[in-house]
Amino acid sequence: MTSQPFVAMNQIDKSFNGVPVLKNVTLEVEKGEIHALLGENGAGKSTLMNILGGIHQPDSGQVFIEGKQVTMANPHISQAHGISFIHQELNMVNDLKVYENMFLGSEIRNKAGFLNVEEMCRQTREILAELGVFLNPKEYVRNLATSYKQLIEISKALLHKSQLIIMDEPTTSLAEHEVGRLFELMRNLKKSGVSIIYISHKLKEIQAVCDRYTVLRDGQLVKTDSMQAGNLEEITKLMVGKAISQERFVHGHEFGDMALEVERLSSPGLFQDIDFTVRKGQIVGFTGLAGDGRTELFESLFGYRKKYTGIIKVKGKAMKITHPRTALQAGMGYVPKDRKENAIIKDLSVVHNMSLSSMGNFERWGFIQDKRELEKFSSYKKALNIKVANPRITIDKLSGGNQQKVIIAKWLEADTDILIFDNPTQGIDVGAKQEIYQEILELAKLGKAIIILSSEAPEVLRICHVINVMYHGEITARFIGDETNEEEIMHYATGAKREGEHIG
Amino acid sequence: MDNINTKEYSPESPSMKSRLSWLWSEYSVIIAFIIIFIAASVMNPRFLDINNQLNILMQVSIIGIIALGMTVVMLSGGIDLSVGSVLALAGVISVLALNASGSILIGVFTALLVGAFAGFLNGLMVAKGRIASFIATLGMMAAARSIALYIAEGGSVSGEVSGFTAIANNNVWIFDLPVLIFFAMAVLIYIVMHKTRFGRYVYALGSNEKAAMLSAIRVDRIKIGVYTLIGTLVGVAAVIETSRLNSISSSSSGAQYELDAIAAVIIGGTRMTGGRGKIIGTIFGILILGILNNMMNLMNVSPHLQGFVKGLIIIIAVVFQKRE
Repeated sequence: MTSQPFVAMNQIDKSFNGVPVLKNVTLEVEKGEIHALLGENGAGKSTLMNILGGIHQPDSGQVFIEGKQVTMANPHISQAHGISFIHQELNMVNDLKVYENMFLGSEIRNKAGFLNVEEMCRQTREILAELGVFLNPKEYVRNLATSYKQLIEISKALLHKSQLIIMDEPTTSLAEHEVGRLFELMRNLKKSGVSIIYISHKLKEIQAVCDRYTVLRDGQLVKTDSMQAGNLEEITKLMVGKAISQERFVHGHEFGDMALEVERLSSPGLFQDIDFTVRKGQIVGFTGLAGDGRTELFESLFGYRKKYTGIIKVKGKAMKITHPRTALQAGMGYVPKDRKENAIIKDLSVVHNMSLSSMGNFERWGFIQDKRELEKFSSYKKALNIKVANPRITIDKLSGGNQQKVIIAKWLEADTDILIFDNPTQGIDVGAKQEIYQEILELAKLGKAIIILSSEAPEVLRICHVINVMYHGEITARFIGDETNEEEIMHYATGAKREGEHIG
Repeated sequence: MDNINTKEYSPESPSMKSRLSWLWSEYSVIIAFIIIFIAASVMNPRFLDINNQLNILMQVSIIGIIALGMTVVMLSGGIDLSVGSVLALAGVISVLALNASGSILIGVFTALLVGAFAGFLNGLMVAKGRIASFIATLGMMAAARSIALYIAEGGSVSGEVSGFTAIANNNVWIFDLPVLIFFAMAVLIYIVMHKTRFGRYVYALGSNEKAAMLSAIRVDRIKIGVYTLIGTLVGVAAVIETSRLNSISSSSSGAQYELDAIAAVIIGGTRMTGGRGKIIGTIFGILILGILNNMMNLMNVSPHLQGFVKGLIIIIAVVFQKRE
């Protein structure tokens, strides 16, 4: 090798709670190159970058910077080596001004020890101008649009004279011309010898700006190669992998009557012109990348969000759904994503979480019958294989899979005809995942109309009869479950292709 | 966390330490009560006198009734600062109604109605107006006091119907009637919180409002119900307060009752942010406050210093409960 790579990560291994996340991964980034790091959700990209950023420690393997071995014990050491990490979520303090955010933690002070506001403002203005942004440094961040916040986040990394900048999906909230400017800047940085690791799902962007790429899949290195024009297809294939499509769960059974019809459902800024139907016994999937609007769509459908227009027909009858309670009365159940924030009541016991949405089933003369609750729970415990010794303990002490089963039991008890599952297997181990898929299928066979939202394309491919792909609040494609594959879904989810064949 | 798991999953072999820590976390307020009770009986023999004991109960009954409601509000994740002012307002208006009608029943009913209505307004502001409960009830605190002062022209109003004072000054066996009312309310609220869906929803709402709403609970109605409930209990407390001296002062009655009620709830182990806590904890919390007041009186501690001791106890209680 003629020149040393700026960063070399050698044979990195990392497991969380005994689950291997990275297996023998090697990554080299040259000085002055833009290196794309690719892979699906859960491929191990973030973990690898967190190791480089000093947030996690590798179980084994070494990190070299300019040929010297270093231990990234904490984020400060990583920063001292000239590495900046621009996270996907914005780390801005909304109540501070632009320049205060830029210099947070590294304020410039004059000799007397007071803040040198003028100098900080001057530098802020200069750096933002490089990005083609002209902002008053004394503007409060909360008054700025998200894209500006993202640009400020990027400027912050520039301010620290970084040698290597890690960008995790930096363009999610940028407009097209801003993306163009960002790429311009990245090319300039490259010329001045700064290296960039660029994480994105948007393959087109990667092709436009990156020199080389590394693909991770299931925690393993798949390929590192230089970026050549026209091999996007190949990269998609590498990301998805061939062996991944496991056997499909779906079995052919007759669908019943129309359960849910949605026409022209729109909510400004969240989703537009959504049309779809679900029959009894049918499993309909929705997938897409972060920010595609599918969660907002179904939160609206379930009455949690109220600002929407369009027609919702349940069993042929037009309904105005204004509250989750009216949704329940119309016959809809909703297992939300982010179980901890949206689904479980952590201070209530397992039994009480189960009965929460259907208290009427357990009352006599207006008083709750504890015994009836417990009896009902033990029948669900058996049916869904919920592992809990004492159902009176609070639900937060259960594992993720068992918590999810309790939430499913809650909606089974409410006995709705339509069930919406949002990321039903989020943070659940493989065994429990299988059981949940099985249960969903059983429900469909019993004639329930099922809707599944998932960020994982393989998941909807495995269990859905119909798959809708969403991008930026619109349905960009609709497929019959066994007539598509992950690659195709990815094309529509990333916006690389639009308006596919509409079936059904 | 680990200790709790051990307890739950292998009940046959709980370690001594985990059992102690469980006992402490579940019943710390009762243990504290027993310690303070024993300390008080050792320090002053007059403390154990039955009349003194009954006196303590009588003294805590009014704040106790309010604290029951405060527990419900705080379990829902809110707070009600307006209880003292609403008590004065309900008292003043009920005395006017009593005197005008000559009917004790109408007087009592008016107090309950005024309290419930003020609570309902608080609930509307919190649930529909999405105003933080601290702010909404702070506003009500100022407004209710002001209206009471205006109606009574800054002074006191006295009852002119004979028999009204019997409510607070009669005994049943050895107990004063207010004490029995307090006990009855405690049982009532306990049943509401643990045996009805309203109580279940209050816990759910205080623990995780979004999840409660996504569980198809009408969160807004529950909130309005919670504030209306405490308002009604304040009405009950106002009847006792008025009946005790057959008069109510628009300027000083109920002053700082909110602090004592909140203190009792906090000492009783209810979490400030809601979702966790017990009615029984609040009852012992109010008894601890009552014993402390009583002891300081018996030992001739300057009344000016009593607030200091109370403050200290509240802070100590919270420090000990912080060990989650």
